[in-house]
Amino acid sequence: MIRATRNKIILPGLVLLAGLLICGCQKLYNPKPVKNSPNILVVEGVIDPSADSTIFKLSRTVQVNAKTTVAPELGAIVNAEDDQNGVYPIPEIGNGTYAFPGLRLNITRKYRLRIRTTDGKEYVSNFVPVKITPPIDSVGFTILPDSLQVYVSAHDPTGSTRYYRWSFDETWLFHAFAPSEYISNGYKLVERTIDQQIYFCYASSLSPTIVLATSNKLAHDVIYQNPLTLIKGSSEKIEREYSVLVRQYAITADALNYWANMKRNSDQLGSIFAVQPSEITGNIHCTTNAATPVIGYISASTVTSKRVFLGNNSLPRRWQPIYPYSCSIDSIPNSRVQLDLIDIPVSEFTLSYYGNVFNPLGYTATERECADCTIRGTTVQPSFWVYR
Amino acid sequence: MKKIYFFGLCFVMLCRLAAAQDVNKKTISVNFQQATIEQVVTDLEAKTGYHFYYTQAQFDSLKVTLQLNDKPLEVILNAAFQKTDYHYAIIDQNVFLSKARQVSTSLAPGFFNAQPANAPPANAAVTDYTVETQAKVAEATTENKIYEIGIRTNSIKAGNATLAGYVRNIKTGEAIIGASIYNPDDKLGVSTDQFGYYSLTLPRGRHTLIVKGLGMKDTRRKIILYSDGKLNIEMQEQVTSLKEVTISAEKVANVKSVEMGVNKLDIKSIKQIPTAFGEADVLRVVLTLPGVQSVGEATTGFNVRGGAADQNLVLFNDATIYNPSHFFGFFSAFDPDLVKDIELYKSTIPEKYGGRLSSVLDVTDRDGNKKKFTGSAGIGLLTSRLNIEGPIVKDKTSFIFGGRTTYSDWLLSLLPEAYKHSSASFYDLNLGITHQINDKNTLYLMGYMSQDHFRLNSDTAYAYSNKNANIKWKHNFNNKLYSVLLFGIDHYDYSITSTANPVDGYQLKFGVNQYNGRLDFNYYTNPKNTVDFGISSSFYILNPGNEQPDGAKSLVVPDVVEQQRALENAIYLGDKYDITPKLSLSAGIRYSLYAFLGPQTIDHYAPNLPREPVNVTDSTTYGTNKVINTYGGPELRLSARYNINDDMSLKAAYNSMRQFIHLISNTTAISPTDTYQLSDPNIKPQYGQQVSLGLYRNAMANTIETSVEVYYKTIDNYLDYRSGATLLLQPHMEQQTLNTRGKAYGVEFLIRKTAGKLNGWLSYTYSRTYLQQDDPYAGELINNGGWYPANYDKPNDFNFNGNYRFSHRFSVSLDVTYSTGRPITLPIAKYEYGGSERVYYSDRNAYRIPDYFRTDLSMNIEGNHKVHQLTHNSWSIGVYNLTGRANAYSTFFQEQGGVINGYQLSIFAKPIPFINYNIRF
Repeated sequence: MIRATRNKIILPGLVLLAGLLICGCQKLYNPKPVKNSPNILVVEGVIDPSADSTIFKLSRTVQVNAKTTVAPELGAIVNAEDDQNGVYPIPEIGNGTYAFPGLRLNITRKYRLRIRTTDGKEYVSNFVPVKITPPIDSVGFTILPDSLQVYVSAHDPTGSTRYYRWSFDETWLFHAFAPSEYISNGYKLVERTIDQQIYFCYASSLSPTIVLATSNKLAHDVIYQNPLTLIKGSSEKIEREYSVLVRQYAITADALNYWANMKRNSDQLGSIFAVQPSEITGNIHCTTNAATPVIGYISASTVTSKRVFLGNNSLPRRWQPIYPYSCSIDSIPNSRVQLDLIDIPVSEFTLSYYGNVFNPLGYTATERECADCTIRGTTVQPSFWVYR
Repeated sequence: MKKIYFFGLCFVMLCRLAAAQDVNKKTISVNFQQATIEQVVTDLEAKTGYHFYYTQAQFDSLKVTLQLNDKPLEVILNAAFQKTDYHYAIIDQNVFLSKARQVSTSLAPGFFNAQPANAPPANAAVTDYTVETQAKVAEATTENKIYEIGIRTNSIKAGNATLAGYVRNIKTGEAIIGASIYNPDDKLGVSTDQFGYYSLTLPRGRHTLIVKGLGMKDTRRKIILYSDGKLNIEMQEQVTSLKEVTISAEKVANVKSVEMGVNKLDIKSIKQIPTAFGEADVLRVVLTLPGVQSVGEATTGFNVRGGAADQNLVLFNDATIYNPSHFFGFFSAFDPDLVKDIELYKSTIPEKYGGRLSSVLDVTDRDGNKKKFTGSAGIGLLTSRLNIEGPIVKDKTSFIFGGRTTYSDWLLSLLPEAYKHSSASFYDLNLGITHQINDKNTLYLMGYMSQDHFRLNSDTAYAYSNKNANIKWKHNFNNKLYSVLLFGIDHYDYSITSTANPVDGYQLKFGVNQYNGRLDFNYYTNPKNTVDFGISSSFYILNPGNEQPDGAKSLVVPDVVEQQRALENAIYLGDKYDITPKLSLSAGIRYSLYAFLGPQTIDHYAPNLPREPVNVTDSTTYGTNKVINTYGGPELRLSARYNINDDMSLKAAYNSMRQFIHLISNTTAISPTDTYQLSDPNIKPQYGQQVSLGLYRNAMANTIETSVEVYYKTIDNYLDYRSGATLLLQPHMEQQTLNTRGKAYGVEFLIRKTAGKLNGWLSYTYSRTYLQQDDPYAGELINNGGWYPANYDKPNDFNFNGNYRFSHRFSVSLDVTYSTGRPITLPIAKYEYGGSERVYYSDRNAYRIPDYFRTDLSMNIEGNHKVHQLTHNSWSIGVYNLTGRANAYSTFFQEQGGVINGYQLSIFAKPIPFINYNIRF
């Protein structure tokens, strides 16, 4: 859909084609860690002129092979400024996040961001106009042979949006491999109460991919069924109930270019005819030392969003979820239950008995990750969950 | 042959009588009415007492009607044979009558390498049966016969004469290109040109010429050169399995020619080099030559001495091929059954060629068989080929036709579901017609067409096509001067179609047309001097992009990037001059004049500011074919050779080149959808210069050739893309590109064994190529304006190509390649943005992928060599990438589920067996 880069999107497929023609030949590659990995300020966020929160995340780059990516930038002073000398502080709310509940800005002015970090450097972005984001028309699903395509459609009758970016949060209800009916109270096995159920959980994730589109080549400012994400038919996400919250941002052509390059650099490389990676600078610069790089593009726009739900009853029955762990169920006679309780605390007792209902000879058990959904989710239903 | 001995014997005897020979004073009278030769001879013998010698069969058609009184015998014979093909010679009391050829009454001068005999002239000039006025030039097919060239005189004049003619295959009548005609006594030699034509100036007198041709049996011709004349030489094919690596037929050419950095390969050596799918591949072989590199395996773009892939002029029978690859670059566009040979010019680029900076790759097809219909077919894993050739008019007009297609879809159907609905196919068609109008005029016609289609995931369909046609007229003015007039059209287009999203359905087309006219002259002024000169003109019409809606629901607004037009003219003059036998010089100058033409709208940018939309101050619209601006300048092509001794020489060369058409690409490999751009007021033409120096030495009776060449090269105004550039459908290319300059240097070592059971070559190259953004108006500079290695900068490059012939029917080839990994841009830091880990990249090309190593093995098995059988079969079986090393084509970092992982992509990570069956009929 990023039409400007059409000649490059051809070909992630080609890699595979070429690859599969001849062999499976894509393998993991870990080059030696780079010495003197740079420590660059990363600024992410949107100046929201409405009553909604404006949130900026400030962090630093880390070594490529570092275990964690999180290196928050603490103690910085962040201000939004307009082109009429208005200053709107955005205070730190902790852990590198800077936020203000509702700036309520004059949308006819242009805005920029000024950051002063604790190392004494000052960063200023270019002035950007405020874009008003049109509402999302629809978020829908298309059933493909072995996957589910989630798409978004939008339009702007005034024709002034043209460049779109989306982010989305997915939430889904899933279950563990086997239900657990009993729990040890320290002395003996007792039936789980409703609060202690660990079979059904909710999990969620933020959109990892950058989704962009432009209608600047179309006669009308229309985005029709732009792909958001592709979910495999065997994914746990759609084994019962699935919900996605899509946020839409109107951006400028320049911002789209920046995001597109970032997208290209992270998920469109490596094919035979792929574009070579390259860094492009965003619209924020270090004023203390022009040679200091900084990552990020500052936009000012409102945000529109839409949440939709999908149940597995509308999906093909042949789609069966693949459980992420390899699980088996063991039988444990009564004589060993006490012992196992102590020795194998991770065991979860799943099925009640084998033998007689009233006089069980023992229990069946499985590993914790096979019975406990809470290691990957929460049993607390999100407040927005209305589906049923 | 016996005849020669007979005549020779006669001459020896007659020489002694020469002194006694006198003009007969006795007069007689005759009266013949329709008399036969017998009647005439009987009558004359009776009247003169002379004895006549003749062959009756030769004279049976002669009827003499003549009445003369009191005339000497000579007058009577002159009158009797006037306007006939009969001749006579009188020695003492003997009269020799002959048809077509006059019996010479003296021994050929110089026959014993003695001084010219002082014999008094017996007769006027003997009829010259090789002179041009005669319909047919002698076909010199015999080695031991002595061919007399020119107007015969009894005493050979001092000085030189020029011998010219064609060298042809005796079986097919096809011209032999690059055959050498060499006179070992005077150490003078030439090689035949692209038409098989040669012109050699030698001292008058007796010579033995050594003739060698690619895949031909060496032969020799004995001549006595009286004056300028013609000699066509026919050569026989070598009938063996002959998988001999012959880079150049002229074994001494390595040392003796003035050219530097020229590699020539015939199809036989091309065919013995193993390829991934078993089909001989012209471009793949070019990559094994020293100084030639590529960014990776599945690319047909190649880089010569640090030049970009678009800086190679790929000529196919004098037609410019814009995209010489098929099927994602796994096959080259040239049908191996038709190709005769290829020539790659890396350093000394003939002044005849221009328009590209780095090299000229000249691919030549065979002429069709002039004598009989033949053909061949080949079956491989993915492709099949068929070719037919034969005479249209025997010995005058011939054709050759070849076609190739693929049936790769069966392979694609084996792919997983996601790729099952993909398809890919290609075909190409070649047609060549040669027509010899007469001895002085020959016409050559060629047509070529290739078409590729592919579609992945039934979504977007891609297609591209080359179409070329040209006609050449070769005219010989005389032995020393000939001209070639060429008219041709070269066409390349591609299209992208997608209808997956009905609102977004589109078709995008790109196309370029090049109309060529060229007139080349070749003038052999004297043995030391050859001049060539000519003019050429190319008219370009380039349609950079045309996007149209596809499908009824499509909302796509048609988007057409303005057509670009330009005219590129050139005039050139070159001279090859032997200053002394040891020192030769070749100097050429080419003046190119380029005009960018309307209709076009040109943006003007504020001075000293980056070429960005905000800095456009004004724009001017020009009318159709109005000259918008011109570029031009001289290009120099100089080279010199000094022979240190017979086996060793030193050469030096300087070259400058200009290029007006640019391929704009931001992908590593040339992709089928890269776009071209003509130079305009905002985009300057590229300019390149190269100096090179080489030492050449032959050893072991010229069977081992060695050479060392060093070069240094600079490139100006190379167009590199800006970071994050949009190149497709781009009306303002100057806003997306940056002027870059380049420098490249290197040293190339080559050892080649050209004869014997074991033959092949070994090459090692150390070379570096750097680029630098020096565009003052660029705004953002890549790597802060510092030098950075080009994508194809691979310092160490080693190649071994060997072939061992166990028998005439069985040979084994081994190919070993090693090179430093190419530069890449690696992530040096990571961060979180937009919900996922992202990576921050290093300076462009700051790191390298792992080194490249590959070994290929192939066996060539020929059927029996009986000459008379319906078909001749051969098999080639082999393994590509024998060691199965997973060479990295590229490495990349990709986000998956919010986490960045590094991957290495290999194209051929396992040994690939192949088999090919070829049949000739």
